[in-house]
Amino acid sequence: MQSAATTITVREGVFAGPGREPRTLPCISARGLSRHFGSRRALRDVSLSVAAGEIHAVLGRNGAGKTTLMRILAGLTIPHEGTVTVLGEDATRSARTLRSRVGFVPSGDRSFYLRLSGLENLLFFARLHGMRKRPALERAAVVLGSVGLEDAADERVGHYSHGMQKRLSVARGLLTDPAVLLVDEATHDLDPPAGRVVRELVQGLAREGTAALWATQRVEEIRGFADRVTLLRNGEVAFTGSVEALADEVPVRTHLVRLGGNGRASLPTLAELERSLAGAGSIASSGNHERGNEYVLRLEDGAVLGDALALLTGAGVQVLSCRDERPEIEEAFIHLTGRP
Amino acid sequence: MTTLPHAAPSRWAVLADELAKLPAFFRRDIRIALSYRLGFVTDWAALLIQAFTFSFIGRLVNPAALPTYGGHPVSYMEFAIIGIALGGFVSLALGRVSSGIRQEQVIGTLESLLVTPTSTKTIQLGAVLYDLVFIPIRTAVFLLVTALLFGLNFHASGIAPAILVLVALLPFVWGIGVATAGLVLTFRRGTMIVGLGAAVLTLLSGSLFPLDLLPHWLEIIASFNPLAIAIQSMRETLLGGEGLSNALIATAELIPFALASLVAGFWVFRLSLQRERRLGTIGLY
Repeated sequence: MQSAATTITVREGVFAGPGREPRTLPCISARGLSRHFGSRRALRDVSLSVAAGEIHAVLGRNGAGKTTLMRILAGLTIPHEGTVTVLGEDATRSARTLRSRVGFVPSGDRSFYLRLSGLENLLFFARLHGMRKRPALERAAVVLGSVGLEDAADERVGHYSHGMQKRLSVARGLLTDPAVLLVDEATHDLDPPAGRVVRELVQGLAREGTAALWATQRVEEIRGFADRVTLLRNGEVAFTGSVEALADEVPVRTHLVRLGGNGRASLPTLAELERSLAGAGSIASSGNHERGNEYVLRLEDGAVLGDALALLTGAGVQVLSCRDERPEIEEAFIHLTGRP
Repeated sequence: MTTLPHAAPSRWAVLADELAKLPAFFRRDIRIALSYRLGFVTDWAALLIQAFTFSFIGRLVNPAALPTYGGHPVSYMEFAIIGIALGGFVSLALGRVSSGIRQEQVIGTLESLLVTPTSTKTIQLGAVLYDLVFIPIRTAVFLLVTALLFGLNFHASGIAPAILVLVALLPFVWGIGVATAGLVLTFRRGTMIVGLGAAVLTLLSGSLFPLDLLPHWLEIIASFNPLAIAIQSMRETLLGGEGLSNALIATAELIPFALASLVAGFWVFRLSLQRERRLGTIGLY
């Protein structure tokens, strides 16, 4: 627990107490979190850490435990096992001081007063964050503009589409310029341009030092956006690491090969090449018209690349080059979580 | 890099911060109430229809069967209208206070409130602040309107003491409402709990008939009913012209009930909220 005179350097995740040297700590640190609802296990031994300025994606299918994890970090649910600290404080105690520095974008679309306008809703929540009326109004207008809702500011939220409500929810999460931002399925109901706007907002905050935890099941949005990813499967961590490392989790089965005639006037036909592989894989044109000798080689499970290339060479062709065709993250996602 | 001093704010600073949030709740609820204009009209129409009904029932009742106030006989309408007003006050306040948090849960805003740096007591108070202001005003206006419409003979000098009694009754109702809110948070369906509680309180309040008509043992129990104490005092001040001293005595009698009710109410509510966090079901409804 923080002592009264503790100083926290929020944005860089450096926490210093009286008589202690400053030390770098993750802004979010979860260790061995477990949680069940009745007989259903929602989380089991989940650990992760998020540094200041990092965007950390939590990926998983429906029911993988993403929302439970977010709710624990937001102090709304207590874990049965494990520890969780946010900005150096025990998140399960949900201290008032901690809540003032954490922005939370919940997954549901029912978190506003439908009879009030978007601006009135944000003004209300800004006041609950301790802002005076005028600064609250100004801040509410700014964040509404940042999510593209300035023209709908005075409309009742009940008249908003799901996507607009989601953007409003993101705007509420940004009200206090939080040191930690927890975003649960923010882009679920958004069209691609709106989703991009929200991601850019989060990236902007991260550049300023905010630690962002971004729960999603949309695999495609994390490439080029998240720094690291934790993949949950049935409440357990199936993978944690960089987005690139996630793609590496899938064994490479597809290769681009360039073949030469080995003194022959022309290359064997595709059927001949396929036969030469003797079931080790399949081969097809890459479709690259500028490189007529480029092929896509797909290996069967258990087949070894070297053996397949030897078979091709044995059929009288030269393998001029061979490079891996990297799998999409979605393939890694399916590989690690299993097909639905 | 932003460096924030993390000195723990003083208790008074926190209290001032929390109090500063209450107008936001009030503003929110008054705007929502104003967006339901038809609700205002139907509420008042229902009240006036009820008053008309009792004006006809009153013709069946011999005033000699009723107690006298300040030595003067009163009509059944005069006798009953104070009971109706206070009964309505209690059931409405109880219903609103107990359902305030539940309402937040159902519309999905409770979690959004709980992740702000706002204490649960402020959220609980804020959720009902508008009603705590509106319901006494509604009760006072109702008494005034019925007095003018039906020519009821209220003592002007009794108005201020009656308001004092009304305000003194409020914390008791609020405490019961908060406890009920906790039970509703736990058991989800609370209409029956509120309805049953309000019915028992009203039965033992003497709102529509003199308490001495009850069996003796029930009459003894009823004498400890805060609603009965309040109704009796309001009749004595408004109908009998009793002064401030009568209201002060009633207030002194109500204070222990109010304290016990508030302490128990917030204790039950805190336990319920802790249970919901433990179970992870705050957002479920």
